[in-house]
Amino acid sequence: MTQWTVLYRKEMMEMVRNYKILWIPIVFILLGVMQPVSAYYMPEILDTFGGLPEGTILEMPTPTGAEVLMQVLSNYGMLGVLILVLSAMGVVSSERQSGVAGMVMIKPVPYSSYILSKWAGLITITLISLFIGYLASWYYTSLLIETVAFDRTLQSAVIYSIWLVFVITLTLFFSTLMKGNGSITFITILVVFAISAITTILEKYMKWSPATMTKHSGQVLLSRELATNFWLAFIITMAIIIVLLLSSIQIFKQKELLE
Amino acid sequence: MELFKASNLVKKYGKMNAVKGISFHVEEGRCVALLGPNGAGKTTTLKMLSGLLEPTSGTIDFKGEVGKDLRQFIGYLPQYPAFYNWMSGKEFLVFVGQLAKLKRKEAEKRSEELLERVGLMNAKKRKIGGFSGGMKQRLGLAQALIHRPKLLILDEPVSALDPLGRREVLNMMKEIKKETTILFSTHVLHDAEEISDDILIMHAGEIAISGRLESVMEEYRQPILQIEFESQVDDWLESLVKFSFVSEVNIQGNKTSIVLRDIVNGKQTLLKEIVDKKLPIRKFEISQTTLEDLFMKVVKA
Repeated sequence: MTQWTVLYRKEMMEMVRNYKILWIPIVFILLGVMQPVSAYYMPEILDTFGGLPEGTILEMPTPTGAEVLMQVLSNYGMLGVLILVLSAMGVVSSERQSGVAGMVMIKPVPYSSYILSKWAGLITITLISLFIGYLASWYYTSLLIETVAFDRTLQSAVIYSIWLVFVITLTLFFSTLMKGNGSITFITILVVFAISAITTILEKYMKWSPATMTKHSGQVLLSRELATNFWLAFIITMAIIIVLLLSSIQIFKQKELLE
Repeated sequence: MELFKASNLVKKYGKMNAVKGISFHVEEGRCVALLGPNGAGKTTTLKMLSGLLEPTSGTIDFKGEVGKDLRQFIGYLPQYPAFYNWMSGKEFLVFVGQLAKLKRKEAEKRSEELLERVGLMNAKKRKIGGFSGGMKQRLGLAQALIHRPKLLILDEPVSALDPLGRREVLNMMKEIKKETTILFSTHVLHDAEEISDDILIMHAGEIAISGRLESVMEEYRQPILQIEFESQVDDWLESLVKFSFVSEVNIQGNKTSIVLRDIVNGKQTLLKEIVDKKLPIRKFEISQTTLEDLFMKVVKA
């Protein structure tokens, strides 16, 4: 077994022992199921609690299945991202602080193996959570509202996962660069939302932005077609991810372990 | 045979020079103590040797290999070893064993051996989070030995332990000494005197004294008079410098140690003075400078 595999297995084992492997997917399932359920029961909820005057006629257009799924992805973009960043913030910094990173690196382990095993661990939990949560959401949507073609749903999930991988890589980068978990979370969230906001506001100039992945995934749900510029954004996002990973490895090499 | 040779090792932190170009070598099979006050650069030196810290300049020649990744050959126990608290003792050893390129089977076998050896067999399935300081130190020793390193580096292995734990670790070091070269830092001079073959004394980023323990002691040994009074007689003591046979007077409360150039003449004259002046003497002892005296001398110089 290579050292990378040993480190990756340790990452997975740690997530099993501290139940991350359980609670993060559960959060994503809850976020995913809430949307179709609340869309379905909205008229009744309003009826019961709305306190609307007698005789009001409610014209609530039931959203289409694709719209519900888009809403789910948008929830993942807010709360889901927050949960992921919070759970990943200490991935390198905590081990550096406790000194256990030094205990690992005192063995002949390549610096790249350490960072890449962390990355792979985070990606694993992120993708598991996203796909299980989204699958649950798809199931409830087809049960309560209408069936959305499964291949379209899957495609949108794959495209959306690129955005989450980007967010996770950014978290790992800041976790390597900085020490305090609070500042890591703050900066990561700030950067993620800044990119999203700028991409929305300056749409014309930001066709390459990783944040357009959220838009592309919605596009696929609605029209099954990949929007133009998808491949541009895809290549740029991948490039940014690679640069972030390489920089993380370099930064980690420079950091003093076992202070 | 020479195990490694460090030449002109320098480590700078910004403008601060933590280690100022030190050169030394360690023979195979020796137990070397690295002494020095806090901030002398001991830990920095050990970290450079272990391959965890890149020297600003200088080279380490490890059995003819220069500038290579030395971590394979070195077992390192940091001053404050840290572990994954959610792992059991055995899990951690198997984990680091595999990181040191042992096969899984081999790592498991070696872990069992080492747990037995450091006396953690009963705790092998317990979570490390519940270990005491002494147990962690012993586990740290086991993880450093897992891949049968050629050089074992220990950073202050006993200074955080209680007397019992200290004794245990020292005894283990005596055992390990038979199989592998050990380089350890400490500021407990008594320990260094007890188990080391060679010593290196560092001060302010430089090596002040190095050599075999006996020859260093021999070379720097001076006769010393230890006098204890019932009350303080500083005036008289301070006046002693006028005698040509007195080289140094150290006053510590009621106790005084006087380093002499001429022991025969010195003890006669001083005893006579004490009797004549009716000084309240309690103890008058002739002895030799210890490693501690040498250490103090180097550090104060």
